[in-house]
Amino acid sequence: MIELKNVTKIFNRGTINENVAIKGLSLKIDQYDFITVIGSNGAGKSTLLNLISGNLTPEYGEIFINDKNVTNLPVYVRASFIGQVFQDPLSGTAASLTIEENLAIALKRGKKRGLGLGVKRTDREFFKEQLSKLGLGLENRLKDRVGLLSGGQRQAVTLLMATLVKPEILLLDEHTAALDPKTAAKIIELTEYFVDEYKLTVLMVTHNMRQALSLGNRTIMMHEGEIILDVRSPERDTLQVKDLLEMFARVRGEELVDDKLLLA
Amino acid sequence: MSFYAFLGAIEQGLVYGIMALGVYITFRILDFPDLSVDGTFPLGASVAAVLIVHDINPYLSTIIAFFAGVVAGVITGILNTKLKILNLLSGILVMIALYSVNIRIMGQPNTSLLGYDTIFTPIEAFFGAERYMISPVVFLVVVIFLVIAMTWFFHTDIGLGMRGTGDNPKMVRAQGINHNFMVLLGLAFSNGLVALSGALVAQSQGSADVNMGIGTIVAGLASVILGEAFLDARTVFRGVLAVVLGSVVYRFAIAVALSFRVGSFQLNPSDLNLITAIIVTSALVSPGIKKVFKSRL
Ligand SMILES: Nc1ncnc2c1ncn2[C@@H]1O[C@H](COP(=O)(O)OP(=O)(O)OP(=O)(O)O)[C@@H](O)[C@H]1O
Ligand SMILES: [Mg+2]
Repeated sequence: MIELKNVTKIFNRGTINENVAIKGLSLKIDQYDFITVIGSNGAGKSTLLNLISGNLTPEYGEIFINDKNVTNLPVYVRASFIGQVFQDPLSGTAASLTIEENLAIALKRGKKRGLGLGVKRTDREFFKEQLSKLGLGLENRLKDRVGLLSGGQRQAVTLLMATLVKPEILLLDEHTAALDPKTAAKIIELTEYFVDEYKLTVLMVTHNMRQALSLGNRTIMMHEGEIILDVRSPERDTLQVKDLLEMFARVRGEELVDDKLLLA
Repeated sequence: MSFYAFLGAIEQGLVYGIMALGVYITFRILDFPDLSVDGTFPLGASVAAVLIVHDINPYLSTIIAFFAGVVAGVITGILNTKLKILNLLSGILVMIALYSVNIRIMGQPNTSLLGYDTIFTPIEAFFGAERYMISPVVFLVVVIFLVIAMTWFFHTDIGLGMRGTGDNPKMVRAQGINHNFMVLLGLAFSNGLVALSGALVAQSQGSADVNMGIGTIVAGLASVILGEAFLDARTVFRGVLAVVLGSVVYRFAIAVALSFRVGSFQLNPSDLNLITAIIVTSALVSPGIKKVFKSRL
């Protein structure tokens, strides 16, 4: 489904700030995999997602999606099969546009945009129905500007927008990190609902170890631009949060550079 | 203020309002501070004037002037999106280049339209009315058309994409929109309108001059900001309407300022840029203006 072959991403190449964020990383993701991605700050998790979405292009290596080489395809082309939700709840929606206008933009993902009316009467019915799934009462606020919504509400709308037109791949980058625990739980619940309903392939970055092990079918741990752990169910089911924390401590503590913890 | 001055302010407010609508597209919709309009405004004037003195139909000349602006806008867009030059600088480069281009187009720094037919000539003949009555009406018709067209456009799929691009380019890309194309398209429209405004001003004042563009951007911004101070731009329609309103208010403010006299001291037209700067500053810093007028509008 998704395959990264020997991918290397270097920031600020040729300057004193040169930083190899992803080091010759190879990864095969199967269709319907729901992978949780963990790793300490700066491990390269966001960079990995950005390489898959096309926000970044690698210096070396190739990326394939459905056997098609997408390494140099721009984000807006890949968007026809990739839905994204970002860590910052403000970055997935346009504040000055109304809820229905944001949804109308999402409804045309992967389709041709012309001079037809953006929000049609029939769309409104559909938007209401979809928004009511969120259970936040937003179905009665179609004409409110998104800037008026709370961070959690905006993140819920972003999640809806990412799946309004069914994507094949859903990329979630700490999409609940900025939310209070109750709202975060609600967004996770919605995430599971959408993934189930639409049968998506998912990469989800999280710092919540419990969540990392309970959601999805596969967990990868990153460290300094490499994957140091890759476990799937059923092996994953025996792992506990404390096992993960121990591994974190080990890779951080000593120079265990070559001691990769591949349990897959 | 005399009746003529009053009508003059309305006329100017409307015709420069077309330019301000262009500035609104770049500054407000696209969040792209395009300074090239100081060059595109006289570009429109030059192109229209030269074509008219070469006996091209004035309506056709005006349309061609619009497209000259479109081309200039596309060039600014290419500098920014393809060559990755900072948006402010892209606009400044095109503005500077257009100064030379405009002189090339006219073959001299100015072109007089005295004695030539303009878009007003047939209308004057048809209604048998004087120019000072005709031109405000013509400009009003154009402005009404543009307000409707722009309101419609910004509710289409492409229009939503353009508004989204200015608001949140990351989101727009993630939703499959080529945001560079939206920037290009917006700059094309914007500069087309600015050039159209220049073409109309040239025909109404009877000449095109390479220096007539100085301060265009500031006047455009003044209109946008004043409009917003008077009319809360909650919707696209109100936003667009506010720009036109702002432009008219701005021209009135200038007319009043110029008629201002204390003893032997009087402001003259060369003080205009200073006055504009003061108007914009006061509109920016005083929420008071908004409050005072909000209750009435
Ligand atoms: N645009 C950029 N320019 C330069 N360096 C960058 C850029 N983006 C990321 N980096 C660097 O690449 C490395 C990996 O960053 P990345 O954002 O992928 O980490 P992360 O695993 O997502 O961390 P976090 O948990 O803090 O989000 C870091 O060292 C970071 O400083
Ligand atoms: Mg990150």
